[in-house]
Amino acid sequence: MPRKTKEQKEIESKITTTKTTTATKKTTSNKVVPTTKKATTTKKATTKKTSSTKKASSTKKSSATKKTTSTKKGSTAKKTTGTKKATTTKKTTRTRKVSADKKVDIVEYYDLPYRYNQTVIKLLAQTPNTLFIYWDISDTDRENLKKQYGDNFFEKTRPILIIYNDTMQYSYEVEINDFANSWYLHVKDSDCHYRIELARKPIPEYTKNEPIPLPNYFYITISNPLVSPNDHILFTQEDILIRNIKTNEQHSKPISSLKVKNSMQKIYNIHDLYKKFYKEEDNFYDLSNPSSGNPSSGNFRIGKI
Amino acid sequence: MQEKKGYVSFVLHAHLPFIHHPESDDYLEESWLFEAISETYIPLLTNFKKLVDEGVDFRITMSMTPPLLSMLDNSLLQKKYIHYLEQLIELSEKEIKRTAYDARLNELSHYYYNRYSNDLHIFKDVYNCNLIQGFKHFQDIGVLEIITCGATHGYFPILYVNEKTVRAQIAVGVQTYERFFGRKPRGIWLPECGYVPEADKYLREFGIEYAITETHGILYANPTPIYGTFAPIVSPDGLVAFGRDLESSRQVWSSINGYPGDFNYREFYRDIGYEADYDYIKPYIAHNGVRVHTGIKYYRITGKTEYKDYYNPQWAMDSAEMQAGHFLDSRVKQINDISPYMEKPPIILCPYDAELYGHWWYEGPYWLYILFKKIYYDDCNFSLITPSEYIDRYPEIQVSTPCRSSWGANGYSEVWLNQSNDYVHRHLHVAGDRMCELAYLFPNAEGLQKDALNQCARELLLAQSSDWLFIITNGTMVDYAKKRIKDHIGRFTKLYKQIKENKIDDTFLKNVQEQDCLFPDIDYHIYL
Repeated sequence: MPRKTKEQKEIESKITTTKTTTATKKTTSNKVVPTTKKATTTKKATTKKTSSTKKASSTKKSSATKKTTSTKKGSTAKKTTGTKKATTTKKTTRTRKVSADKKVDIVEYYDLPYRYNQTVIKLLAQTPNTLFIYWDISDTDRENLKKQYGDNFFEKTRPILIIYNDTMQYSYEVEINDFANSWYLHVKDSDCHYRIELARKPIPEYTKNEPIPLPNYFYITISNPLVSPNDHILFTQEDILIRNIKTNEQHSKPISSLKVKNSMQKIYNIHDLYKKFYKEEDNFYDLSNPSSGNPSSGNFRIGKI
Repeated sequence: MQEKKGYVSFVLHAHLPFIHHPESDDYLEESWLFEAISETYIPLLTNFKKLVDEGVDFRITMSMTPPLLSMLDNSLLQKKYIHYLEQLIELSEKEIKRTAYDARLNELSHYYYNRYSNDLHIFKDVYNCNLIQGFKHFQDIGVLEIITCGATHGYFPILYVNEKTVRAQIAVGVQTYERFFGRKPRGIWLPECGYVPEADKYLREFGIEYAITETHGILYANPTPIYGTFAPIVSPDGLVAFGRDLESSRQVWSSINGYPGDFNYREFYRDIGYEADYDYIKPYIAHNGVRVHTGIKYYRITGKTEYKDYYNPQWAMDSAEMQAGHFLDSRVKQINDISPYMEKPPIILCPYDAELYGHWWYEGPYWLYILFKKIYYDDCNFSLITPSEYIDRYPEIQVSTPCRSSWGANGYSEVWLNQSNDYVHRHLHVAGDRMCELAYLFPNAEGLQKDALNQCARELLLAQSSDWLFIITNGTMVDYAKKRIKDHIGRFTKLYKQIKENKIDDTFLKNVQEQDCLFPDIDYHIYL
């Protein structure tokens, strides 16, 4: 994390303090090109991402963009889009006459609330190596922190995510920023148990002159546990367990007793062969997954053959 | 059924999101259902009937999702469908006159006139406006197995941060199935094939024996399934999982070499809705004057050219017959290659969107008909089977946990969770938590309060449809999808507050009940 210039800091604190009134502006200024692993293989996604970058660069740029791109490679931030500044659900209700059956009908209009004012962090897996995290800190919790550590608590500390990989038993921190309320995080290990903690850390430049030294870490909340998906054939070699699903009886069988004993690779090679045969088609997985560009269950009017 | 060297199982996933707008005739999206009825559901039923009448023993599996069943059962949508057909019959009558100058075109106009008139006859006279009975009949005589799906096609890998909301999707999916088919479903099409092991216990709780997963749901399972996708596996919680066969999928799905791209097949994108004189076609396109597909299409794919030749139904049927032969030969070879390594006959699972057959691939239902006939009459090494029959026959299954997966692009959750739609998830999660909170706070609700709680459950389920997220990602009809999310979250939140403040607005509730009228028997206690 490079040290910030005074100017950057000022812009940053300005944005933080005006957060509630400039929600829309922040949305655009904070869009950053994600550097997810598979970006090059997903044509559609790449195009989309590029266009969002253009949008971001054509709008008013703030230090936020610089700051985010300088954080750990593979993690990107994005302010929830499509939201308007509103703390409660906006509703307008009026009535109109429907000429057909002359019945009074309620015409409704809704907007999604900007936030729910809860302290929360939720973790989802987008791919085996990309996790999605969203969070919020309730007004009450914010006030409590300010009461305890001073009104400028949120200016003199910065938010971090602590990633716990419980399977491989390691953890690390990722610096985030106060303009984001969600984040895509690249993780190197698929098929692992993860939890992510939202916390804050003092910014040394701001806190070195504090009369009472601040703790070096503030816990906010922790996410749901999540297992990231597996992304490869495991080729486990142990004896296999067979269950009769009618009787629920189970017995194990050594692979050596089966016809497949030395040929499992062959069965799996068939799948590899498919990939070779069809490599002329630009994205193998797009073909095997119809929702991507082919007619889909999701929407049957969309897509091409 | 005598033992064969292998088996092939076709699974067609029939699904459309719940689109029902009694308040207006202006929603183009309602026509998705009508097009699917005319191009897919009626042709499938017609071909099933032909096979049965000809004494062909066949097996097919279809998932019919609760929103689709609810729409097929809805009397207003049934009326609107009849109106849709009447319009098309009127248009094709005009077309017969208009195309009198060209014999080939005129023949096609007659073809459409006959086709839509026949649809009207089948819908009204044969099925009494309710196609569900038609599908049920084929299930009852044992050639079709119908399986269920999540209540509103909610995508489990995103919802499961609150497991109760996944359980409710399953509970209502099973309940809806029972209401329409009078028995319990044995299998489920997981919405978008989205598999998470956390859902297994709930699937088993509601009696689901098996699920369909994407190929790598099996290939990347733990421990590694010894037979790949050529045999099912059973999860430690007891859910049997079948995986999609890659080769057969590719033959049908591929945008480049797939069967539907045959040059003799009907060209989807050339429709008189876009091509006829504006004043002439205006009564048959969207109310606001926007040109849309009418369903009357005169051209065949012809080749990779702008120039398109007229469609010739006979040529198209010839191509379908040839391709059915190719598909059969490919499966025979595949089974011969695989079976020496297996203790039991392999199963080749071929899952597709039902709407591919007929709507996108116009000749698809005919292709299926010919294929099923060939399989029955040719002395080939396999026969058709349903997943239920396969597990009844071969109940000894390797224990292994399927891989978290979906059938979306790249195989995981990118389609339903990306920068275009990730703003939605916090709303879905909060609404899910609030629904559980309501069920906990008001376990003994009666009267109006109970009605409001049940409506809350409907609104939550509708907001959870994976379709809205998919449409946003896809970039077409985005405004409609975003509006639906806002509407259902909005209605849910309004009712949630009214229930908590004990100020339920009766008129508002009635209005919403009328519009979002699926799941009449829903019981909010599923969220307890």
